[in-house]
Amino acid sequence: MYELINVDKKFPGVHALKSVDFKIGRGEIVGLVGENGAGKSTLMKVIYGAHQPDGGDITIDGTKVRFQNPRQAMDHGIGMVFQEQSLITNLTVMENIFLGFEQQFVSYGVINWKAMAEAARKQLAKVKLDIDPGTTTSKLSFAQRQLVELAKVLTLEERIDGDLVILLDEPTSVLAKEEVELLFSLVRELTKRASFIFVSHRMDEVLDLSDRIYVMKDGEVVDVVAHDDANVDAIQHKMVGRDVDKEYYREQKQKPYQVEAKPLVAFQNVTATGKYSDISFDLRPGEVLCLVGTEGSGREAILRTIFGLETPSAGAVSIKGVPVSKFNAQVGVANGVGYIPRERKVEGIVAGMSVYENMTLSQMGNYANSGVLRIGEEKTLARRWIDRLAIKTPDVYKDCGGLSGGNQQKVVLAKWRSAGSDIILLDHPTRGLDIGAKEDVYDMVREMSDDGVGIILVADTLEEAIGLSHTIIVLKDGNAQKRFDCSPGDKPSLYDLVHHMI
Amino acid sequence: MSFERIKPHLPWITLLVLVLVVGAADSNFLRPSNLISMAADIVPLFIMALGMTFAIYIGGIDLSAQSVANMTTVVATIALPTFGIGAALICILAGVVLGGVSGFVTTRLFVPSFISTLAVGGIAFSAAQYMSGQRALFMDASLRDSTFGWMTGSLAGIPSELFIAAALVLGAWFLQSRTTFGRALKAVGAGEPAAVASGLNVNRIKIMAFALSGGLAAIAGLLFAVKLSGGSPTLANGFLLPAIVAVLVGGTPLTGGVGGVINTLIGTLIVAVIRSSMLYFEVDATQQQMVFGLILIVAIALTIDRTKLRVVK
Repeated sequence: MYELINVDKKFPGVHALKSVDFKIGRGEIVGLVGENGAGKSTLMKVIYGAHQPDGGDITIDGTKVRFQNPRQAMDHGIGMVFQEQSLITNLTVMENIFLGFEQQFVSYGVINWKAMAEAARKQLAKVKLDIDPGTTTSKLSFAQRQLVELAKVLTLEERIDGDLVILLDEPTSVLAKEEVELLFSLVRELTKRASFIFVSHRMDEVLDLSDRIYVMKDGEVVDVVAHDDANVDAIQHKMVGRDVDKEYYREQKQKPYQVEAKPLVAFQNVTATGKYSDISFDLRPGEVLCLVGTEGSGREAILRTIFGLETPSAGAVSIKGVPVSKFNAQVGVANGVGYIPRERKVEGIVAGMSVYENMTLSQMGNYANSGVLRIGEEKTLARRWIDRLAIKTPDVYKDCGGLSGGNQQKVVLAKWRSAGSDIILLDHPTRGLDIGAKEDVYDMVREMSDDGVGIILVADTLEEAIGLSHTIIVLKDGNAQKRFDCSPGDKPSLYDLVHHMI
Repeated sequence: MSFERIKPHLPWITLLVLVLVVGAADSNFLRPSNLISMAADIVPLFIMALGMTFAIYIGGIDLSAQSVANMTTVVATIALPTFGIGAALICILAGVVLGGVSGFVTTRLFVPSFISTLAVGGIAFSAAQYMSGQRALFMDASLRDSTFGWMTGSLAGIPSELFIAAALVLGAWFLQSRTTFGRALKAVGAGEPAAVASGLNVNRIKIMAFALSGGLAAIAGLLFAVKLSGGSPTLANGFLLPAIVAVLVGGTPLTGGVGGVINTLIGTLIVAVIRSSMLYFEVDATQQQMVFGLILIVAIALTIDRTKLRVVK
């Protein structure tokens, strides 16, 4: 009944959805899987009206529709249960359920709380949640809140005529195993009332719950599998798909790292409560160490610990043999750690400052006499690195915010490399870059390696992780699952990694 | 030519247009002697605005400036007989310490600067009331002239205040554009997360910016006390709004990161022209703050960088 036909969506520099066909029938549960960046969330956003497609049609029961915003989609029976919980915690359960739709309980400008509580109780009964609708939401457990969110979406049933489609975005990520089972049995029961689209990183759950599964990769639906034909390995194969081009990741340029050398960074049973636990590894000169895991598996937190933005609660971190006792970014920079953050425009560059100002930002002391800058030398340095990394900018005065993503990334790299950082932390260094710019980044990774720089990488895709790294540590829920050696020609396969990730 | 491209040039265009309009209406306005005396009159306000620039440049604000200046007029008057020229140092030190406290409260206790400086301003104002016994105090004329006469005299027909202002604006400009501190201020104003991730000690930079603002507010108060030959806890009242207006119409937005001290120089001149034109157009003194309030709203709306704001409260 709900159908997307040939839906296309482009963002500047990214073709996020390539002529996607998607169909969901009455009372059906459809699973949606794919790697990060495969286009799942864009597809979801198109479905619930947050994005408008550039091409193709959306039809409900054969009638063409077009949603300008989520509210319009809701009026057509499409509701979203958000991954990051969207309830306002200091409101009561019933206020949350009817947020924005209080009008039905208003007479003479006053809300009839009794009527609202009664109506809320009816919604809560649908999800079998026996709580007082007047409870403040912050007092509920995460599982209960998830059900309240579901109840909130189910109010659509009374509000609109026609069928409901409910999107569940990673609904199980914060739930315990029993809670997940409870949710699933509930969802199965609710198929009498609505159809569901279910997105999860946990393959077994998707297989368990869904009637059909859409597999996405690079903005395309690469396969649709029926529940009975589904097979984890086959789906994973489709998800990560295409053969990896060794040339692309500069594998031939990968040289062995200095195994015997003193480690640049050493983690011994390091824990940061709530982020990761009991992590140990050594990073040696010339090594590219890749942390692989899903979102929230602790990868980023480990990077931030090394740089000094996150203080661990237990264990010992040492940099170049010296134990780190104080964790802040000044110490990190002084220790020669350079951080290339994922949020390039927020943490990487300062938009509004010129190319040369950005390059010396972490090392102004090297270009100043008692606080007075030697601006001429700064510009010379900037020109040298603009040439060396082939940064496309009209001159050193250009506002960094006006450069393309790839060139911004080069400026950030130049900032650390020119300051002599020999521990480089790369957090999604190729995110949002086009292919040419990605290859430039890969070249730079190899060059830095050759210079004896130790690199810790959180890659954008698994292929990238495998292609670039000497060592891979797979993380899941903050724990190290497995360590792989990745010498050229003897790299683990995607399936080896995925197997330990989910 | 889009508005965004003209925006950086708006301040001086506004100044030019205002000068021409007022000059056309009032033939006396453009006489050099009038312009010079107008400029000299605005110097205490300019110095306060100069300090305010640093607070706003990093994306904060200093609402204590007026109270700090008030307090300084009292401190200067009381300290003059005992300490002589040392009174000036005491005043500046007091301003720097109060600004530093604002900075500390803002960065370490995570209190937004508009509240922390408001609170520190309250403390300064109350201290001024306590020290003065709520009375207007007067400086001994001969003592004032022998110690601070150089501030109010003139050289080659140009009032000394203008030299003081020139020295301060040059110093502030050098600090802003030629030193690591100035560069760090810009980075904090334009992109604080990136400044943190580059290993800058952002808290220290912010505290220093507020201390600088407090110190300059104190100098403004000192100069005002010397000009009026006395001190009182309400002497500098009515300065705060025009000082903020001067910074904002000069082109340093509340969101920080762009603009700077030269912009504030232009902004202060705009305020000066508006002020003297109000005299000419016979706007009552009691109504002047209304005008500045309205200009402030327009200036904020025009200059603020909305991409940096998620929620406005």
